[in-house]
Amino acid sequence: MPDHTSNGMQCNEFETLLTDAIDGVLTGTGLDRFQAHARVCRTCGPLFAEAEAGRNWLKGLTEVEPPASLVMNILASTTGVDTQRLRVTARAAQPRISWWEHVQATVAGYMEPIWATVRQPRFAMSFGMAFFALSVGLTVSGVRPVEAAQTVGQMVAHPSTIRHTYYNTQARVVRYIDNVRAVYEVQAALRRIKRDVAPAEPGQQQSRPAKPKDDKNDTTQQPEQKQERNYSQTEDHVILASAPVGPSPSVFDSSNPDLPVVSVTTNRRFV
Amino acid sequence: MEDVQVVAMLVRRCIAGDAAAWEEIVQTYNRRIYNICYRFAGSGDDAQDLAQEVFIKMYRTLPSYDHTKGAFVTWVTTITRNLLVDHFRKSKQDRMTDSIDTSASDHEDAQPLSEQIPDQSAPPDAHVRSREVSETVHAALAKLSPELREAVILRDLQDMDYKEIAVVLKVPEGTVKSRINRGRAELARLLQRTYRQVM
Repeated sequence: MPDHTSNGMQCNEFETLLTDAIDGVLTGTGLDRFQAHARVCRTCGPLFAEAEAGRNWLKGLTEVEPPASLVMNILASTTGVDTQRLRVTARAAQPRISWWEHVQATVAGYMEPIWATVRQPRFAMSFGMAFFALSVGLTVSGVRPVEAAQTVGQMVAHPSTIRHTYYNTQARVVRYIDNVRAVYEVQAALRRIKRDVAPAEPGQQQSRPAKPKDDKNDTTQQPEQKQERNYSQTEDHVILASAPVGPSPSVFDSSNPDLPVVSVTTNRRFV
Repeated sequence: MEDVQVVAMLVRRCIAGDAAAWEEIVQTYNRRIYNICYRFAGSGDDAQDLAQEVFIKMYRTLPSYDHTKGAFVTWVTTITRNLLVDHFRKSKQDRMTDSIDTSASDHEDAQPLSEQIPDQSAPPDAHVRSREVSETVHAALAKLSPELREAVILRDLQDMDYKEIAVVLKVPEGTVKSRINRGRAELARLLQRTYRQVM
């Protein structure tokens, strides 16, 4: 834009004031100078006319209506929930929902992600094993889930059942202890009787002589049973093997009196 | 234009995860954003895609909005303008090869600009004529350079003041006024040229 002065106003100043003039906020002397410049300046005059015309064209444009699906698409792409459609559906149906269903829906909302994780094959096997181990453990320990559930249910239903169950359990424990004591007393009595009867049978005691614990001859450093196998090495019993002096009708034939009498003495190890 | 406290509360609710608050924001601003996109991009389909992108970006960057720094509508318009400029840069080559007679509007009954000039013989009625004029102006607007176009759209179609426009465009207020003047004048020249060709 040429920068020349006309009516005391430069073209740069004219352009600065152009928006104010078009908006209608330029008044007084400023407006007079502006209009005077526009009349005489070959550049600024047409510029003012064109800018005003352009503004009028633009003001004639009306707002366009956005597509009906725009809001729905925006909500679906941002929050991932088609809330508008849900709302329309909810308004159309409006079913009666009890407080229990509300609770169930809320719990399901929290549990669904956990359940989705559990349902994955890698976790499903682990949870299966854990459940199996738990059920085996309960069975071994004598806990029956059904009975436990029934007991809990009864206790919840009637508080007096708690007292009843407590006294029953206490009586059962006392009875058990008494029974155990009786068994122990019977066992002790039997032991005493056995001890009293034992001296009348000396063979019993001789047959199993008490072995001295401090066997000084034990140089084998072997277990007791193993040492017993070699007991003949430690025994010094001499067994005399001898033939009968006279002829024995049961052994020798009496018709052969010339048989020599041999006396043999040998140290033989007892096997 | 907007109650700052109400909008700030709405934004806080939205950040806290209130879907209803976000829907309220979408309901309030979708028309404005769609219109800016439509006037800038020139196409209804593009405008819909761009408006959707604007809201996605807004949804992600909502925590960064500070109501003490400016009005929410200015913040929203800035996001829209930045996204439109990015979109323009991506499709710059296509736009450079467009001619004045190329179809510029998909939203309405798109015709070459020279064919959209009203016939002098007998216009059917005022409504149709008004619609045709709107289409002509819309097509001419699409021919302005992006700098001039965004300035006149924000001023003459969105009624924003110069200070807000300066914030959105990140240029001084004097530059904003200059762009608006040149944009209006260029638009008028385009329309005069078009009418002269038909006549």
